[in-house]
Amino acid sequence: MKTTPSCISILALAALMTGCATTVQEVALDRAAATTKLEPQDVRRTVEKMVESLLVAPGVKEFVSDRRPVMDIEPMKNRSTQHIDMISITDSVRMQLLRSGMFRFVDRSSAGTVGTDIARIDQENTLGLVDASKAVKAGQQTALDMYLTGTLSEIKNVTGRTVDQYYKFSMILKDLKTGEIVWADEKEIRKAATRPVFGM
Amino acid sequence: MRTVKHLAIAAACAAGLIGLTGCADTAGTVVQTDHLTNSTLVHENNTRLARRVRVMGVNYDTVNDLQRVHITLASTRHGRVRVDYRICWFDANGMEIDGDTKTYRTLILEGRDGVTVSGVANSAAGVSSKLRLRETSQAD
Repeated sequence: MKTTPSCISILALAALMTGCATTVQEVALDRAAATTKLEPQDVRRTVEKMVESLLVAPGVKEFVSDRRPVMDIEPMKNRSTQHIDMISITDSVRMQLLRSGMFRFVDRSSAGTVGTDIARIDQENTLGLVDASKAVKAGQQTALDMYLTGTLSEIKNVTGRTVDQYYKFSMILKDLKTGEIVWADEKEIRKAATRPVFGM
Repeated sequence: MRTVKHLAIAAACAAGLIGLTGCADTAGTVVQTDHLTNSTLVHENNTRLARRVRVMGVNYDTVNDLQRVHITLASTRHGRVRVDYRICWFDANGMEIDGDTKTYRTLILEGRDGVTVSGVANSAAGVSSKLRLRETSQAD
């Protein structure tokens, strides 16, 4: 008879303990909005929308007609109040454009390293350490045709318990030869959250 | 005895309700379009969603040598309906092209309104598309 209450208390304790365990699980990349901040799914949607818009733009068609233009992309500027890794967003745009097979890219972010490398190679050539016929010579790098830039801006309004957050990604593709804007587009995101009357 | 019976029924109903809340149906509507054979298939896997949002038409064209699909969706409800959609692309061998780069986008359909959504293939190799539609409430 004494064993029954003991069993019940052990079960109750076990049930209580399971509630204390941290649950970790892998989740889908595209989740529903959880906060008014910029979330991974917002960034993914923006990158996808921008790349699709660029690929079908009439100005881009004229430029791409029979060749793969060389492009570089400047890290997007963050004009919002949030800390956002804009280089990561820029990298995603570049990766998707590169995978489309319509453009070639140069990476000027590592231009300093390339300069150092060439200087070192020149020094090695002078010293006769490397085969001169196989050495990489300066002045052979591809020149840019187009330049892609972008900005992120935000407007935040707080009215009572409601927070209304608006984000705008803008991107511009410029023809470096003529200075013309070949393509421009923007993606807007608006989120609102209302705090409960009680609680945080 | 009667009270005990009622309590048992109430407990069973409560347990059933608790159990049902965990059964979120993540299946939705799928629209498959093959641009080579000009064929379109609509699979409605979720009756609730199929009743709320209807696929009204599918069109496609080619822009800058890339396939583009336009799918018109219409709400049958008088109130606002929130859904997510994702359009992914497949090559001639049926292999998905960069599936991870195609995300679920949010779509807000006003009462009895129709909206056309469109998607562009990631590369010139994309020849067939698949639209997946789900209710936003089922996206975690």
